[in-house]
Amino acid sequence: MGKITGFMEYKRVNYGMRPIAERLNDYREIIVLPAQEEIARQGGRCMDCGIPFCHAMGCPVYNLIPEWNDLVYNGKWQEAYWRLEMTNNLPEITGRICPAPCETGCTLSINDSSVTIKQIELAIIENAFKQGWVVPRPPSVETGKKIAIIGSGPAGMAAAQELRRLGHAVTVFEKADRIGGILRYGIPDFKLEKWVIDRRIEQLLSEGVEFETGVHIGDDLSAKYLKRTFDVVLLTMGAGAPRDINVPGRDLRGIHYAMDYLIQSNRSVAGLPVDGEIISAKGKNVVVIGGGDTGSDCVGTANRQGAKKVYQFEILPKPMEWGESFNPSWPNWPQILRTSSSHEEGCARDWNVLTQKFTGKAGNVESMHFAKVKWGAPVAGKPPAMSVDPNTETALQVDLVLLAMGFLHVEHNKLLDELQVAFDTRGNIQTNKRYETSVPGVYAAGDAGIGASLVVRAIFHGREAAKSVSEYLGK
Amino acid sequence: MKEHGLYDPIFEHDSCGVGFVATINGQASHEIVDDGMTILKNLEHRGAIGGDLKTGDGAGMLTQIPHLFFNKACKKLGFALPAFGAYGVGMVFLPIEEASRKTAKKLIESVAVSKGCTVLGWRETPVHPDCLGELARDCMPSINQVFLTSSAGLIADALERKLYIVRKCIERLAAAEAFSLEDLYCASFSSRTIVYKGMFVAPQFAAFYPDLADDDFQSALALVHQRYSTNTMPSWYLAQPFRCMAHNGEINTLRGNINKMHARESTLSSELFGDEIKDLFPIILQGGSDSAMFDNVFELLELGGRALEHSMMMMIPEAFGPKYHISEDKRSFYEYHAAVLEPWDGPAAIAFTNGSKVGAALDRNGLRPARYVITKSGKIVLASEIGVLDIPAGDVVEKGRLAPGKMLLVDMQQGRVLSDNEIKATISRHKPYRRWLEKNKIELKGLFGLPGPVKVDAESLAIDQKIFGYTLEDVDMIITEMAENSQEPVGSMGNDAALAVLSEKPQMLYNYFKQMFAQVTNPPIDPYRENLVMSLMSFVGREGNLLDETPQHCLQLKLSHPVLSNDDMDKLRAINTRGFRACVVSLLFDPTKGPQGLVAAIDSVRAEAESKVDAGCSLIILSDRGVDRENAAVPALLAVSAVHHHLVRKGKRQLTGLVIETGEAREVMHFATLMGFGASAVNPYLAFEILARLKETGRLSSMLTLETAIENYITAVKKGLLKVMSKMGISTIRSYKGAQVFEAVGLNEDFIHEYFAGTPSRIGGIGIEEIARETLMRHCGAFKLSTAEPANLDSGGSYNYRKFSENHLFSPEAITLLQKAVRENDASVYKSYAGLVNDIGENLCTLRGLFKFKQAAPVSIDEVEPVGSIVKRFVTSAMSFGSIGKETHETLAIAMNRLGAASNSGEGGEDEARYIPLPNGDSLKSAVKQVASARFGVNSNYLVNSRELQIKIAQGAKPGEGGQLPGPKVDDTIAKVRFATPGVMLISPPPHHDIYSIEDLAQLIFDLKNANTDARISVKLVAEAGVGTVAAGVVKGKADMVLISGHDGGTGASPLSSIKYAGIPWEIGLAEAQQVLVMNSLRDKVRLQADGQMKTGRDVVVAALLGAEEYGFGTASVVTLGCIMMRKCHLNTCPVGVATQDPRLRKKFPGKPEHVVNFMKFIAQDVREIMAGLGFRTIDEMVGRVDMLDVKDAIDHWKAKGLDFSKILAAPIMPKGGSLRCTSKQTHDFSKSIDPMLIEKSKKTLEEKTPVTISVAVRNCNRTIGAMLSAEVSKKYGSKGLPADSIKIKCTGVAGQSFGAFLAPGITLELEGDANDYVGKGLSGGRIVIYPAKEATFRAHTNIITGNVNLFGATGGEIYIHGMAGERFAVRNSGALAVVEGVGDHGCEYMTGGRVVVLGRTGINFAAGMSGGIAYVLDENQLFDTRCNLEMVDLEPVIDEDDKKFLLGVIEKHVAYTGSEYAKQLLKDWMEMYPRFVKVMPIDYKQALERIKKEESREAEVLTMTEEVFK
Repeated sequence: MGKITGFMEYKRVNYGMRPIAERLNDYREIIVLPAQEEIARQGGRCMDCGIPFCHAMGCPVYNLIPEWNDLVYNGKWQEAYWRLEMTNNLPEITGRICPAPCETGCTLSINDSSVTIKQIELAIIENAFKQGWVVPRPPSVETGKKIAIIGSGPAGMAAAQELRRLGHAVTVFEKADRIGGILRYGIPDFKLEKWVIDRRIEQLLSEGVEFETGVHIGDDLSAKYLKRTFDVVLLTMGAGAPRDINVPGRDLRGIHYAMDYLIQSNRSVAGLPVDGEIISAKGKNVVVIGGGDTGSDCVGTANRQGAKKVYQFEILPKPMEWGESFNPSWPNWPQILRTSSSHEEGCARDWNVLTQKFTGKAGNVESMHFAKVKWGAPVAGKPPAMSVDPNTETALQVDLVLLAMGFLHVEHNKLLDELQVAFDTRGNIQTNKRYETSVPGVYAAGDAGIGASLVVRAIFHGREAAKSVSEYLGK
Repeated sequence: MKEHGLYDPIFEHDSCGVGFVATINGQASHEIVDDGMTILKNLEHRGAIGGDLKTGDGAGMLTQIPHLFFNKACKKLGFALPAFGAYGVGMVFLPIEEASRKTAKKLIESVAVSKGCTVLGWRETPVHPDCLGELARDCMPSINQVFLTSSAGLIADALERKLYIVRKCIERLAAAEAFSLEDLYCASFSSRTIVYKGMFVAPQFAAFYPDLADDDFQSALALVHQRYSTNTMPSWYLAQPFRCMAHNGEINTLRGNINKMHARESTLSSELFGDEIKDLFPIILQGGSDSAMFDNVFELLELGGRALEHSMMMMIPEAFGPKYHISEDKRSFYEYHAAVLEPWDGPAAIAFTNGSKVGAALDRNGLRPARYVITKSGKIVLASEIGVLDIPAGDVVEKGRLAPGKMLLVDMQQGRVLSDNEIKATISRHKPYRRWLEKNKIELKGLFGLPGPVKVDAESLAIDQKIFGYTLEDVDMIITEMAENSQEPVGSMGNDAALAVLSEKPQMLYNYFKQMFAQVTNPPIDPYRENLVMSLMSFVGREGNLLDETPQHCLQLKLSHPVLSNDDMDKLRAINTRGFRACVVSLLFDPTKGPQGLVAAIDSVRAEAESKVDAGCSLIILSDRGVDRENAAVPALLAVSAVHHHLVRKGKRQLTGLVIETGEAREVMHFATLMGFGASAVNPYLAFEILARLKETGRLSSMLTLETAIENYITAVKKGLLKVMSKMGISTIRSYKGAQVFEAVGLNEDFIHEYFAGTPSRIGGIGIEEIARETLMRHCGAFKLSTAEPANLDSGGSYNYRKFSENHLFSPEAITLLQKAVRENDASVYKSYAGLVNDIGENLCTLRGLFKFKQAAPVSIDEVEPVGSIVKRFVTSAMSFGSIGKETHETLAIAMNRLGAASNSGEGGEDEARYIPLPNGDSLKSAVKQVASARFGVNSNYLVNSRELQIKIAQGAKPGEGGQLPGPKVDDTIAKVRFATPGVMLISPPPHHDIYSIEDLAQLIFDLKNANTDARISVKLVAEAGVGTVAAGVVKGKADMVLISGHDGGTGASPLSSIKYAGIPWEIGLAEAQQVLVMNSLRDKVRLQADGQMKTGRDVVVAALLGAEEYGFGTASVVTLGCIMMRKCHLNTCPVGVATQDPRLRKKFPGKPEHVVNFMKFIAQDVREIMAGLGFRTIDEMVGRVDMLDVKDAIDHWKAKGLDFSKILAAPIMPKGGSLRCTSKQTHDFSKSIDPMLIEKSKKTLEEKTPVTISVAVRNCNRTIGAMLSAEVSKKYGSKGLPADSIKIKCTGVAGQSFGAFLAPGITLELEGDANDYVGKGLSGGRIVIYPAKEATFRAHTNIITGNVNLFGATGGEIYIHGMAGERFAVRNSGALAVVEGVGDHGCEYMTGGRVVVLGRTGINFAAGMSGGIAYVLDENQLFDTRCNLEMVDLEPVIDEDDKKFLLGVIEKHVAYTGSEYAKQLLKDWMEMYPRFVKVMPIDYKQALERIKKEESREAEVLTMTEEVFK
């Protein structure tokens, strides 16, 4: 273990961020890692717990956190990388964008600030890339089995790498023009610059993973063809169907799904052509409906585009404000007020806000009408009752409305129709513990199977599904 | 008694009182026989009686053939006897039933005739069975004497040998004709001696055998024995003495000794026996006790031509390590014989005789008392106690005790008493052993030299590690730690990981074995403080004929320890000198052949080994070097044991040494098992390669060279081996080798029988097929196609939790749910928690997980006993203040007191302030107070303030071991309650120094019962094979409650290998205890408690059905208070403030009493619900209803499906009037206690403090004088007691054991006469004065006046002894002042406080482990430093004025109190004498004192300064 009394001697030092004034001028990554010595010292805060809750309950991909904390503290960066690589195919992604339930699960956070697990992870993998330790690991033997993976997001990439390394021929189909799925076009550069993904794709390519981009299965290729050509089809298409809002005025211009907005922005940041109507926040009053991470990404993007004013509304009550460094709900994810870097950049946030309608002129949205709601006491087994406070009905002048209220499930598209996979009650692709869908030889993993969730969870499911698929093929 | 359920008679233990009386000049008389009787009667309290409260465990007497008497008796029967020495008498136990008795007699006669003897006649020994207990009478044999002569007219030794042959033939034929030992047994068969024995307590003995009352029954010696056995089912033949000895103690290495003796038979030859030697086989008669088997070998050696004392020196050699100042010839004698015979190791006081010589010997540890007196009238008495025979003080020439390893012999032909020195000098010089050794023993040059470079190939290392199943934990936590710190890593909390047989992961074969350990019936040895008695030296090679002595016998390779470096292996391979050569047998096999391949490989390894032996190879190296894709390795342990047993069976084992060269061995347990199953040495080449790799990659600290790392690692293994051996009470590797002191858990009978014969394995399990599968899983896994970084090892997860690794009972989810449940008092969350813990589908960890409850007619839950009454049966397991913080300790106490349940103080004492209730009615007082080996904080007041006193014999996480609290953890508060000095390390010794055997435990129970008559006394045991018989012994020792702890219990700090590998699950131990107690009619007198990872109501119900009435929660209860299983208790860094003394961290303690209260209530409710389903209304109804338990039928686990729980679930044999639970109470016999009288006479003093003086005559049966009286003082006046000398008691005579135990302030006990063991045990402030009778003429200061282990655990008070004390004087003294005129070995051991002044000689190892207090020793010949253990102390001259003043003062007091002439003389020459004193000063203690002084002076300075300011 790092240092027996490290947690008592060293204070937590997290990564820094570029100054707001500076970062608003560009889309470059905003976090700044401390010096390597500081990061190593932070590893010394790890207590090497008898039960590492960070690893066992916190981290969805079960990173071997105490092991690499110790190695980093002892300056064994390459071995740390090796241990990190054992569980996580995309640590450079999770090290940047994961909400880090490991840290809220960290045993130190019972009564102190947690170990800076996420930044240590990032430091390990970035250092590994820098040192040239991240090398392709192509299989030594080919099995001759062919696998089609549909969707190149985190689940697809993780599964592709794992399956390829086991010697299978893997083809990843992506409907967009570039690889990465939500990582590529869903997450703004200021949180995840795209070279990070490209760098990893390089490795996958060197290992022999084949990518087919711009292929819309169902339209460009038939499901039948897929099933005929490949031994297994693995669906990792994410949960792309956004939740809509059904209020009067929804069809006015200027009201968009957050993902449409973010994809456009990401494409233009990447210097790529953008289809259809340009959605820009420049000089506008922007309302983001939905208080989650996607909403937060919209806020940051809008501010960078030069929005006049940015609002973010959430229908649920404002979470508890929590000024302490420890986790009040340890080891679980605490429901507390979180302020993201995007929020810090300028945003008016409110909670208990129910959108009632949009009004506008000439088909363009001009006002958003809303009221505050009250939430009843929680009743076991039922969603809490909500009531509108009629005295609070207000209108706000808006030019752009971004709907970031989450996702329903996988997009029910033609491919799934043709494959005839069954869905669960929530509209996700129904799978069993072994990631098998109702159709033999067809597997599903990631958000497509469980609904929208964390990138890190998608990686885990991608890996696990790969194991299942390989076992199936080995029989 | 036959095997049943988990009961197996092989686990029976016995112990006892032993002694002899003899006339030195050999003059036979009836008086000696009478004296023998008297001794027996006075040793009665050292024996025990059975469940019927009448049947004794056995007593007996060995005398010379009473020729006069037999002449008379035989004449009456119509046949004449020849002269004394020309005939033999067989004392034979035959069937009562006439027909079979006739057959038996015929058998004896025909054998006698066929072997050339003439039967002169039979005599039915007259007996009076009326006096016997019912149990004894029911199985009483017919006791007969057969008189016979040699037809060839042989006399003397030749006749004796003939009789020996005849007897062995009778025994063999009897066994062949299906006579059991109960039906045909020769108690003695000799022309020299005869044994009268049976199932009695002493007083019944004389009445039973009227022969002994006849005046013509004369003998010059009477050797007697009073037995205390763990069983109660009478077995007449197991009573002692045996044919030539009586034994107080236990042979721990028995299994190995038997195997080796068996193998040796093939090479035995002797001119004395000629062809008839074959008639002697088997030398060791099966079915006997350890003592009986010892007797078998002892008589062979003696009749084989060696002198009686020579034979004894071979079997029980004294320690001859470098620390002992002994003659070179004697050292050579022992070393030579180390190559001939392994020691029969274990605590032993043995009295032995061949009719003309009688003697006694003590083993090297000297853990049994043996006191002797030689009289002017030419008599010698030796016994476990002094005072067994009344001898006028004026008649005494010498009073002494046998020191460790020493012998005493009376040669009645010479008419002399021979001292140890004389005996051994003669024997060790009667052959030129030293020259023989010099010429013949092989000591390889450079062997054990500094290890050279180790070559590593990173790639193959990576593969080899996987083949041999290494995990990151093995490398990081075990190997690295051993190399860095030269010792095994320490961990904390218990082992809650799945049992090997329940694990999904492939397990190493070692993981299926559990170390056995000594508890109660024999003590563990202290491998740290008393390691000078231990030895890792051994000889390997070809043994010679045991009955011969030649120079070639020691033509063997001497290994100073058993861990061989790679260089050593090269040397061994190359060895070829004087016919000594080594051969390698490869352990590789073809992995593609599957399990059958392994079976075939073992067969061929065995055959190859045998043929190499036949070809003259003296050393076989089993090697798994060369594993690769095509070559898998036979598991090393399997290979070693298979070859060992094969060679034993073929009678060839003694012809070769076995060395194992393996990549498997990495941790101490691996080495221990390899040695324990037959290897002489181990080369862990892969561990060395790993160290080399760690060095290369910079993972070892830069200060450490690879050579040092390897040396450190080897040192760690050596220390670990000593520890494992010591746990079982074994001192030398020579006898540990092959002793098989392990129990298997999860291996099936066929497998054990074939490869590990003789190892207990009681629940079946996997066999060779699954072992092969596990081996191949590892092997193939290493070559599985993978692109992952090859250097990556699996995390492990058997110590620290890892997802997808070993299951642990406490998963992170379970902890989270449990804490939520108790904090929010939410029963539904508790349910989810319990569901998770009980779910074996996901988390199969324990045997009980596989049990299910049978269907029964349910009752309404309203009819079931309420929660409030069930919780009263719950306790929190012992956790000391010190291991856990103050807040945790007190919160547990408050919670359990609120429930009317009990918390347990643990062994760290308790602050007296906690005895006063809080204003809100809460109490911080622990209801259960523990009395553990260090006796921290144990004084009269502590004992009085408790409902239960618990003697901790063993702890689940580290049975057989002590512990230590490092100096920095000993803060002011802890030091205060433990009566220690802040900042000074505190050590708990492995053994209780007042419990070396079962009768000692009975004595401690008696002491505690005296110290608090209202408290119940409990004894904490840890489950292992045989714990049931131990429990039976404990109940016979009058314990009110027995706690059976599982192997998995928690700990504040313990070596990882002990946490993992010692002890077994409580399910087995509890079931065994229940079965044995029920069948022995003892269950009704005692309550049973169980603990060990109990977590849910289901666990409680399983425990109840298996027989427990009470249930303990350790880990779970601290988890409710916030523990999150950091497993860092030993580092003082518990981040939640539960198990730390760091004030910064203690502030973080989140626990509340309500949390524990809620938990206990949830459990109780859970229990109620299950009970309702099972139709039980009360717990009492449920206890012991094992018939309600069943095994889950659908076990499809590939390993667990082989388990067989029939022995656990067997219903005990229910005797008439038996009970499944406690229905009555122990009866305590205080009839010989004088304290009630003392209390009566002190009534006024106790009430009004008016001083009183009392006089009383005492004898050795009056035990524990003063403790009960002290309790009265403490109850009334607390620990302060009464003013000095308020109660003065003058005793005259010989005081029994524990004189002045826990004596409270204000009481003075004066003794004119002698005292036995444990004087001043736990002395709590009173004063003891002991001096010889006024009329004595011997020189008091050179004679022993008190026994062993005086002042053990004393916390205050004074003692003045005019005379010498025995071994371990003032051990663990933490506050008393003592003046004594000489002490035995190990004086002031583990002392932490107080002052000891020794005015004369000390034995060896003085001040071992002494961390506090000061001793002053008169060092007249300037050799004291050679006898002092200087590890922790410095010796200083007495120059300081304070010291001089102190010394002078106490010696003056000593003179005043005892009238010591010797001390008077010292005072007279004071200016001459005081410079000869040395001051023994513990180093840490000195520093601590200086620190305290400095702080005081600093405070003083601060004070003056402030005052100045204020002026």
